[in-house]
Formats: sequence, C-alpha cells, structure tokens
Amino acid sequence: MSDADVIVVGAGPAGSCAAIAAARAGRRVILIERGPFPGSKNMYGGVVYPRILDELVPRWWETAPIQRWVVRRSTMVLSETGALTVDYRSNAWGEPPYNGATAYRPDFDEWLSRQAVAAGAQLVTSTTVTGLLRDASGRVTGVRTDRPDGDLTASVVIACDGVNSFLAKEAGLYTATDPSNFTLGAKETLALPKHVIDERFGVRDDQGVDIEILGGTSGVNGGGFVYTNLDTIALGVVLKLPKLAAQKKRPEEIIATLKAHPAIAPLIEGAEVKEYSAHVIPEAGYSMMPTMVTDGMLVAGDAAALCLAAGIWLEGVNFAMASGMYAGDAAAAAVARNDVSTKSLSAYSDRLNATFVLRDHKKLRKVPGLVLSDRVQQKYPAFVTSVVERVFRVDNPQPKPGLRRIVREERKRAGIKLSQLIRDGWTGLRGFG
Amino acid sequence: MTVIACLKWVTPRADDDDRFAGISAADQSALEFALLSAQPGEDVVAVCAGPSGAERALRDAIACGVTRAVRIDLDPRVSSLAVASAVASVATGARLVWCGDYSLDRGTGSMPGFLAARLGIGQALGLIDVTIADDAMTVVRRLDGARREIVRVSGPAVLSVEGSTARLRRASLRGVLAADTATIDVITGPSSVVDTVDEKPFRPRARALAAPVGASALDRVRSLTDAGAATGRSETVVLDPPAAAARIVSTLREWGYLG
Repeated sequence: MSDADVIVVGAGPAGSCAAIAAARAGRRVILIERGPFPGSKNMYGGVVYPRILDELVPRWWETAPIQRWVVRRSTMVLSETGALTVDYRSNAWGEPPYNGATAYRPDFDEWLSRQAVAAGAQLVTSTTVTGLLRDASGRVTGVRTDRPDGDLTASVVIACDGVNSFLAKEAGLYTATDPSNFTLGAKETLALPKHVIDERFGVRDDQGVDIEILGGTSGVNGGGFVYTNLDTIALGVVLKLPKLAAQKKRPEEIIATLKAHPAIAPLIEGAEVKEYSAHVIPEAGYSMMPTMVTDGMLVAGDAAALCLAAGIWLEGVNFAMASGMYAGDAAAAAVARNDVSTKSLSAYSDRLNATFVLRDHKKLRKVPGLVLSDRVQQKYPAFVTSVVERVFRVDNPQPKPGLRRIVREERKRAGIKLSQLIRDGWTGLRGFG
Repeated sequence: MTVIACLKWVTPRADDDDRFAGISAADQSALEFALLSAQPGEDVVAVCAGPSGAERALRDAIACGVTRAVRIDLDPRVSSLAVASAVASVATGARLVWCGDYSLDRGTGSMPGFLAARLGIGQALGLIDVTIADDAMTVVRRLDGARREIVRVSGPAVLSVEGSTARLRRASLRGVLAADTATIDVITGPSSVVDTVDEKPFRPRARALAAPVGASALDRVRSLTDAGAATGRSETVVLDPPAAAARIVSTLREWGYLG
C-alpha cells in the first residue's frame, strides 16, 4: 500500500488548493513544502484574485490575510519624463464579495495551507522533493526527498513546485527550456506609514491601488508595477530575460530609474526599502505550457506555466489556485477509480480546457508576445505620451492643431510605420477578443 | 536511566509571530548530544518550557528520535530559577541533562546552573567540545583569556554546550510524518512571573579602555585585543576554600572586573 493517495509537492496556492480538494474527497494527502513554512520564500508583490476560492473556502474574505482590497486599477504609460494614466476606481471592489487584494504571501500561503491541514492533509515542511519515483512502466509512483529514509509513495503526485518545475521536467512534460519564455520580476518592498500611503494614493482604510506600467524599464522589454500594501508599497519591474542579459543592465538599477521617474518618485518619497527580491515568471503563457498529465502525475500552477501576463491582465495566483483545485479533484477521482493512468487523470486537462484556466490563456495567447514586442516596448510609450502632451499643450497664439496631424507627426517622429501600427492594433484587437 | 535535552522555545519577534520562533543552535547541539550519549535502552526525553507553540520544537525532537517529549506549560516571563525548578521535576533521576548555553533571546545561560543545583548533581557548563565514551565523557570548557578546562564527567551531570559543538541530525521523513501525531506530555509549570520594571534593547555595559599604544595600526589592534600577547597573568595557588574565594575576589578586583 502506498504511503498516501496523493502527494502534493509545494505548498503554494496551487499545492494547498490541490491538497484541500483531494483531502476533502476523502483521500490521504501529504503536502510537502521546501520552506520552514508555506510562503516563507516571500518573493511576491502583487494582486491576488481569489474569486475561485468561493468554491473551496466559502466567505474566504472573512479569514484570508489580505493587505488591501484593490479599488483603483491604473494603467500607466511612461516616456522618459511623461506619464499617461488610465485610472479606474470602484469602491464596490472594496466590499464583499470583493475582487482583488494585495497580500503578503507568507501570510496568504500559510493561511491557505491551514485550510488544507483542516481538510485532513498532512503538511510536511523543510523538506525538498529531489526527484520522482517511477515503476518499470515509467508511471510516477512517488517522490524522493532530501531527508534520510525520504522516499514516499503515492498513487498520484501533483507537481506544484513552481516555475522551472524540476518534477515536470524530470517527467519529460516540458520540451526544451527557452529563456525568451521567461521574465525576471524584481521587486522592492518600501515602507511608509499607512496614512501617507492613504493620502498619496487617494484611498482609505483597507482600500488599495494597483498600477501597471508600460515603459519606464530603461529600454529593457518588460513593464513595471506599484501595489499598495497596508504600510508598504511593492514596486518593481518585470524584465524579459534575453533582453536583460543582452543589455547588461542590473534589475536593481532599472528599479532605481523607475523610482526616480517624475510620476513615481512623489508616490514613494521618504520610503524605506525593507526587502529586495527577484523571481522568474513563466510569461509566455499558452505557447510554453507543458503536457499537464502523465501516468501517476499532474502539473499545476506556475509549474505548468499557468501565469497570465496579458498587458492589462496580470494574474497568476488565481490560475494556480484553480488548476490546483482541479488537479486535486481529478487525482481524488482517479484514486477512487483505482486507475491513475494518463487517460483516467485527463479529467484534469479536460477541466482546464473547459474553464477560464486555459480558455483565457488560449484567447490571449498572442498578447504576451505583442506586449513584450520591441515596438510596443520601445516606441509606443513615447509615441502615445507625446501625442497626449501635444493635445493638452496650449500653444497660444497658435491655434490648436488637429488630432490627426498630431498623430501623424508624432508617429513619424517615433519612427512607426502606419502599416505596423495598423497591424499591431489589429493583433491587439484580435488578441484581447 | 534517562537522558534529558532541555530546549528553550523563543519567539524572537516583537509581534510574537510563531512562524519565526524556534530553538537556538546551542539547544540543537544539546539535543544531538542527548541522542548521541544515550545508552541502549535509555530513554531520551526532550523538555521544553513554554506556550503551546513550543510543541513544534518538541515534534521536531521526536522526529529526530527522542523517546518522550514534555512541555512545561508556563508563562515565558517566569524567572530562570523557576524554570529550573520546573524542569528539575521532570529531570529528577536523569543520568545526563543537556542544555544549550544560550537561548535565541540572548539569555544569561543561568538555567543550567540553577538546574544542577536543584537536582543536586554535577555541572559542566559552556562546553566547546564533547567526546563521548562508554564509561565517561571528556568535555572541554571555555574559560576567560582563551583558556580551556578539560573535565571528565562520569556521574550524573548537567552539561551546557555551545552551538558549534554538534550539528543536529536531519530527521528522517518517516520520523517527521510520525511526529505529527505523537503524544506530548504537558505539565503545568509555576505561574509567578517576574515583573518587568523596565524594558530596553540589549546594550552591553560600557567599559573604559585606555587608548591603544603602538606605532602601526596592527600593533594598536593587537594591544587593544590582547591578540598574541603572552598570557602571563595566570598563576596557580593552593589555598583553603575561604582564602581561595577571597583571593579570587581580590584578583578580579585587581583586573578591573569588580568595582
């Protein structure tokens, strides 16, 4: 008899949700976490959209440790000195059933793992899974850990071991790794008194702000972000790996430049840097995803590249939680059928295909490439901001120029061909559906 | 007979966040020596005085192989004498009692001494090396002025070790899984707490030092630190106990340790 019905590797959002789902279905679940407690890696700065938790943890918002509910979403386009911001506020997002929230992952992941333990899963921390156990037919039958006497067998292994999933790679589910599919997220956590953040960002109580930035990354393809926590601000950049390497720039220098931008500097003035961290993000979306199912094993979360980086939508934790939950359900059902073959477990990939997890990724599969393309990154921010600058500049006694003339002149100044602009616009329209 | 490992659970952060709590490297060394020094058939008992969160340290100890774990439920603010009394109630009759010589919260290391007094057994404290043999152990104590004292321990004793003396074994996966549901005995400890009159960050006491002399920076550093200097201040005297005590006091005064 196996040591467990289901072994979940990694107690992040995907892993804990997989453990909750499988344990609630009555399966014996062991959830293995490398850190001393779930979330201890503490790299994250971002917005969690926990709507999917409605199914797993009813009224999750009453207990989930969140920092602020995002009621303002801004998209900012930065040129060297200018900034165009589109800002939307909805105070309804700050009330039940809520929309998105900023959270510290050491708090959030630990809370989520407690739900898994309450559901009956056994959490093992400070233990690193180093490889897979397989039988003669190649079916995954368990995991090997770095502890003495550390082999553990199970009917199904769910790999939620994050970006660069060693387990998915070992199982042969990924084709060759392409660095251009990844970005580096580098982030500073900046401390400011709560009332200062409230005043500068125009919010109060537990209301928060999410600013996504195009441009401002010192010419390296990527983007920036600013998120408000209760008494800190997460500010950082997401940088395309090959471009970062080619341009020989340090991520912390790029962050420093972003922090000095006239539109950003007043927001963070006087803040104290509390943390600096960096993490790889599977940015390419649908085109880089591995095979999700093999005999005895499923892949979920970042390990399955389920991170949506589609310009105005930057989501990952919700995809992780949903895929984890579906993997847990599928694993539990397969164990109950006493058949953990790829065919039996493929209920997981069927469900991914039928739900937002893969439907969003499929629909938006061209967007990550477009957003990170050289034109969108290098030329459009300056073009857009200079158009807006001229529209709003009053040059009396000169009469106001026509909008078409401004666009034409600025497009030429930015070196953008009309055909390229139309093509990118069409790709964008089609991509965003 | 039993061998005891005393572990102090400390939450180092002001917000009492248990995720960052744990035991010191010295306590981990003590646990390792408890496991190493137990003879076949002997029980190894891990004792931890603290709130329920402290049971995590005890589960880790069970995973490493101790046969029994006891938590003494008490307020962390009780005095080390009171803690020693409570631990003594568990450790009575033990052959060896291992302690770390400092805790995560910069403790004074006074508990092991109090414990030895309470138990009425020998003590060897501040150990930097331990050699375990079948019949007796040879241990090395750290003394002032880079001196060492080599002590042979044969009878029941309290031993406190520095964190560098041993590395705690990594618990097996089976041990970790089983420890999750293992029983931990809980006994109630003393409730009288020490009133905190004043709470300030730790600051070492200031001591006036003469400006270092020497032509080069290296010479001045040497004179400041006594590094490499001849340890000529030691002398061996044979006196009866009252005279020896008086001599120690007068020498300490002469050296500037006593006002």
